[in-house]
Amino acid sequence: MSYLPWAIAAWLFGVGVYGVITSRHYVHLIGCLTVIQSATYVALLSIGYRFGSVAPIFYSRPTSTPAVDPVLQALVLTDIVVGATVTALLLALTLQVHKKRGTVNPERLRPFRQ
Amino acid sequence: MTRRTRLILAGICSVLIAPAVVVVILHIPAFGHHPLPYGDAINRGTVARRHVTNMVTAVNFDYRAFDTLGEELMLVAAVTGTLVLLRGRRGENVSDRPARAPDRPVCERSEAVTLACRIFLPLIVAFGIYVVLHAQLTPGGGFQGGAIIASGTLLLYLGESYRLWRRLVRSLLFDMLEAAGAIVLVLCGLGPMVRGHAFLENVLPLGQSGALLCGGLILVENAGVALAVTAGFILLLLEFLEETRAAREDEKS
Repeated sequence: MSYLPWAIAAWLFGVGVYGVITSRHYVHLIGCLTVIQSATYVALLSIGYRFGSVAPIFYSRPTSTPAVDPVLQALVLTDIVVGATVTALLLALTLQVHKKRGTVNPERLRPFRQ
Repeated sequence: MTRRTRLILAGICSVLIAPAVVVVILHIPAFGHHPLPYGDAINRGTVARRHVTNMVTAVNFDYRAFDTLGEELMLVAAVTGTLVLLRGRRGENVSDRPARAPDRPVCERSEAVTLACRIFLPLIVAFGIYVVLHAQLTPGGGFQGGAIIASGTLLLYLGESYRLWRRLVRSLLFDMLEAAGAIVLVLCGLGPMVRGHAFLENVLPLGQSGALLCGGLILVENAGVALAVTAGFILLLLEFLEETRAAREDEKS
């Protein structure tokens, strides 16, 4: 049971990497990158978790209450929002590739030749 | 790259990192029982030191504010890159007239959809503002609240029309808000240095713990991040929606 979070993180990472390797469509590839990113969220939040703890918000309880690690939660929080904008950037790049080359299959793309 | 090259590359890479993976798996801490020295240090002393009750906000905008500055500039850079790529085709002199979609039928919105959107739009925007303003007390902050507000404005498009959404969402205004958000955060860093303090040091009065105005510089940084995230997400939505439409003839570059 105590290895379940690590196993989920590893599984998400593995599935994502497999998708990136075998991808035949850039939009699918970006989706796989997002899956890999979620693996890091699961791993980070699992590191910060502790049994019998509450969320690190002390608005209505004393500071002596055991709470989970806020540092890792802050890392995941900023990561999610920045990840969303980076995904948007990648999708915009995909649109450009489609316009310039007519395909979004990485297997069919060749480097430009002079 | 062909399928074969990719598989060979992946095989080589996995063989190379395999030893590191084995070492990590052998040293994984037991879930839920390992020590959290940094988190505990922050949880114990922050309410007294910074007068805020949300530890995640304290970490984001105070202890690791430098890190947040980097993240925020990354966000601005990603949004700028997307805008340059997508707006490039629409032309340099971007007007606020919406692009047309000539081959797409304009369906009449049903009254139920319009009513639901009119009810929920103000509620969602108000909730987003609440999430932003209460960052220092309860779960929330500029990142989450900004994303809520920006996505909420799409209800205008759903319930009214694309034309109205474009008329209210001026790209020049949101360009400036986006930049203003980044500038606020940078000034939060440089401001304390003028007085001889460290970069991003929390020098403002901390206020009373538990009140809406507490945490000093945390409030200002949070507002800056909220501005940048709201404007950035709205600009992304605008450019991607605009991308699905044909540009007007006189606006092509």
